[in-house]
Order: sequence, then C-alpha cells, then structure tokens
Amino acid sequence: MMMSERRQAGTVARLQEAPAGPTMKPDVDQTQSPAAEGQTDLQLVRKARAGDRSAFDLLVLKYQSRVASIISRYIYDSQEVLDLTQETFVKAYRAIERFRGDSAFYTWLYRIAVNTAKNFLEARGRRPQGVADVNDAESFEDGFRLRDVGSPERYLQRDQLREALDSAIQGLPEELRSAFLLREYEGLSYEDIARILECPIGTVRSRIFRARDAIDRQLGPMLDNA
Amino acid sequence: MDDRLRETLSAMMDDQADELAVRRVLSHHDQQAVRDQWQRWQRIRDVIHETPGQHGALDVRAAVSASLDQSHAEADSHREAIRRRHAPWRWSAVAMIALGVAIGFGAGSGWDVVSGDGSDGLVPVQAQVPAAASGVPQVTLQGLDPRQREQVSRYLLEHAQNNSVVAGQGAVGYARLTSMSGAAQGY
Repeated sequence: MMMSERRQAGTVARLQEAPAGPTMKPDVDQTQSPAAEGQTDLQLVRKARAGDRSAFDLLVLKYQSRVASIISRYIYDSQEVLDLTQETFVKAYRAIERFRGDSAFYTWLYRIAVNTAKNFLEARGRRPQGVADVNDAESFEDGFRLRDVGSPERYLQRDQLREALDSAIQGLPEELRSAFLLREYEGLSYEDIARILECPIGTVRSRIFRARDAIDRQLGPMLDNA
Repeated sequence: MDDRLRETLSAMMDDQADELAVRRVLSHHDQQAVRDQWQRWQRIRDVIHETPGQHGALDVRAAVSASLDQSHAEADSHREAIRRRHAPWRWSAVAMIALGVAIGFGAGSGWDVVSGDGSDGLVPVQAQVPAAASGVPQVTLQGLDPRQREQVSRYLLEHAQNNSVVAGQGAVGYARLTSMSGAAQGY
C-alpha cells in the first residue's frame, strides 16, 4: 500500500474514532492540493535572496530531514550523510539567485542533494548505489518510501514517538483533532477545511495552531531526547 | 513569542501565511525562539509523515550557518586584499585623471565658437594672441593637410577605444587623450 493511501486510511480511521466526527462534505475535491502550496517557501526564498539568513534558516530546518533521507539512499555512513546534507544547503544558498521558481523549492533542493551525493561518490571512485534520481523529486514529495536504516534503539524510539503522537492526537478535543487531521494527513487548505467543518477560516487556523501546540507539549520531552 | 505570532508561524507551516505575516515572523527580535518552535513542529510533521527516523534529531542549521559565515568572511577578506592591492594604483589613476581633466579644461577654455569665417566653424581664440602671452599650451590641428588630419583622427579614435577597454590602466593615455580632445573639437 502506498504511503498516501495509508495516510488516508489512517485519517479516516482517526476521524471515525472521534466522539463526534465532522460531517464530511462529499463535494470537496480531496485530490486538490492546497491553493497556496509552496507559497511560504517562495516567500522565504525571496527573503533569503535579499540576504535574510533567518529566512534561509527556516528552510534548512524545514527540509533537513528530507534532504538527509535522500542522501542516505546513496551514502550509508551517517557522518558523511550529515556532511553532505550540510553541503547541499550551503550550495543551495550560494545558488539561490538562480532559483527561478519554475518548480517547487523542494524539487530544486532535491536535485542539488542528489547531485551532491553522486558527485561525492564519483570523486571517491564509487558508483552510486542508490535508486533515487533527480527525476524522483515529485514522487518523493508524494510519499515515496525511503530506505530507513537505523539502529534497533532508533526504531524503538521512532515507534515510541509514533505511539505518543497517536495518543496526543486522540487526546485532542474533537474540533481541534478534525482540523489538524484534515490538514496534516489530507493536506487540505484552510479554505477546504473551513467548508468541511462549516466554520470561518480564522477558526480553522486557530484550531490547527492549538492542536499543534498541544501535541508539541506532549511530545516535546521525547523530541528533545530523540 | 506570543500566541499570535506562534499562530502565524503555524500558518506558515501550512503555506497559509501572507507575505506580511512572514515578514513579521522574520523580524521578531527573538529568532532563536522562532527557530526552536518551527523546528519542533517540523519534527512532529516528520513523525506524522514517517520521514525515516534515522535523522530524527538531525540539525545541520548551525553548521550550515557557520559555513556560510566563514565563506562570507573569506570573500570579504579576499575583496579587501584586492582593494588594498589596487589602492595605490587607484590613487595614481585618480591623480592622472585629475591632471588630464585640468589640462583638458585649460586647453578647452581657450576655444570659442566663431561663425561665418568660412573655416571649420571653430577657431582658437588664443590663436589671435601671441602664444607666449596666453600661458596655456597651444593645441592646434590647423595647418594639417587632409591626410594628416585623418591620421590624427584615427589615432584619437583608437586611443579612445583603447581607453574604454583598459579603463584604469591607461591613465597616461587618458591624459594625453584629454589634452588632445580640445584639438579634436577643432574639426
């Protein structure tokens, strides 16, 4: 089962578990991506271009895990993965003037990461072993499952985080949970969520924020120790 | 960070913040607090979307930032070194240009428009007074035959082209050209 399917199934299950689940409007096109997809990235890129390093910091924090995951498809040594992740962002910053916005920022970053990993291997006379290619960026964005290599402790930690997350979500008040699930698991825009939940967009925004805040408070200590 | 700003940051997570909101977040005085909150929410999102757990605690931001700072510092010192290397040369160039301009003005001030005399239209006024009395070096193309004029003209053109290509490396030539410019107006 593809990840996106699993996600949808999970969302439906969670919504069904809700004490008083929202009325799902059948006329909402759930395949439609949020209208403003990538808008924040573009705004941050514009600020970074103007020399605002705080903006670039937010892009690094947003994408570092995914970039490291891409690189780990080629490189197995975790220290080299870290170095190349860092190098990818340094290259991206230096080349950010050349990002025209024709594609999503992440797609552009993905290409830099793949090329950085390949160049690293070629420089050491090693053939790239991974299966990722620069053309995989879009499918990766859609939830393409990456190789997950980690220690047993890491697997355990991940499972514990996952359980804590599920528990935190289940503990949310129904209106917060519904808004949060529709956003995080279905990727719906605030506008679509407002239509489904029959409330103003500002309320959706506030509910999602409060849900995040509550989950953060519960998962915080685990994340700090991860 | 107050709740209003955190709510804006949450909206940024979802691509639902306008440019003004982004600017407000980026201009917040405590950027460390902004980064911490942003990073925690991103990590929760990584857990939700099952981004491989190997790099759950990954944080390369500080290293990236340090690397960029270092490269900026190196670039700055490189620029400074270049600036220092060219500084004496720049002063001499400025001096030569100033000299050239002074000579040019001096020579130019001795020229005026005289019409209706049937000649080239421009005649050196100082040509009417003895050269020794003027104190300004006489520059004249009068008395040259057409072949000589053409040769001088071609020389001036080449000189100007050369100056534009190797700007800053031909201060002497520039001065010479400037001093000749008054003569160039003579035809």
